Amino acid sequence: MEPSPYGIQSKKLAIWLFIIADAATFGAMLFAYGYLRVANPDWTRPFAFWPSIANAIAMTVVLLVSALTMVAAVRTAQAGDTRSTLRWLGVTMLFGVVFAALHLWEWSGMIGEGWRLFQNPLGGSVLFGATFFSITGLSLLHVIAGIVALAVIALGYRRGRFDAAHIETTGLYWQFVNVVWMFVFPLAYLMNAR
Amino acid sequence: MATNATRDPGMKAYVIVWLGLLVIVAVEVLLTYGHLPAGRLLASLLVLAFLEAALGIMYLMRLKYERSSLFWSLMPYLVFALFMMDHVWADAFRLMHQRLPGR
Repeated sequence: MEPSPYGIQSKKLAIWLFIIADAATFGAMLFAYGYLRVANPDWTRPFAFWPSIANAIAMTVVLLVSALTMVAAVRTAQAGDTRSTLRWLGVTMLFGVVFAALHLWEWSGMIGEGWRLFQNPLGGSVLFGATFFSITGLSLLHVIAGIVALAVIALGYRRGRFDAAHIETTGLYWQFVNVVWMFVFPLAYLMNAR
Repeated sequence: MATNATRDPGMKAYVIVWLGLLVIVAVEVLLTYGHLPAGRLLASLLVLAFLEAALGIMYLMRLKYERSSLFWSLMPYLVFALFMMDHVWADAFRLMHQRLPGR
């Protein structure tokens, strides 16, 4: 059999290729947001520090903590410590759920104030809602998919179907979700702070 | 199959990187409320975001510990794709100056 390219397993190369493609997708979404913002001088900046920016900071910290726990899960899996790995995966999923809950709580607050995909209760450009809900919605979808993936991998790992390489591959996806948030937080939240 | 477990830098390195990411987030928030002009704030936030992304990709995603051929096969394409998207700005600024006056 030929040696694998780059010295890694095929599934690891596949997830990296997926990550690059998905990064280009998010890049396109953020560029579209920037384009629309520049082209619309009546852009609304609705986020007060409390509760919007404070909530976004909390979401960022929660996601960053989950990144660290995911690193711990990958390391303990590679060390062969099954119990610790499952514990770290559980903690990572828990933080992911907290992030999603904070996100949905924020969305419900905004929707309650009258924000929609094409509705601006403050009278400015309706494209704010379109871009904000699209970008954060796509990010939230990735987080939820990551939680599901982590659960599936954790169950399979516990049963001996999956190994440390599967944990590492899923960990790459989870870290990518974090990296995306590092752009969404400043561009979609901080740049729209009042 | 090759693994990079032996090239793991240890949990301490990851914690240091993670603390660095937290500091960058704090700087971003401080800059937001530092009354900077919008253009300068955007540039600062983008630089910090790219720095965070670089730390996340190289350390948390452990690309630093893979063969360099993997890095050079992945990153230049992404940088090129994102660079090409910058062509939209000329049209955005053109539209900004072509707005009809409000009623």
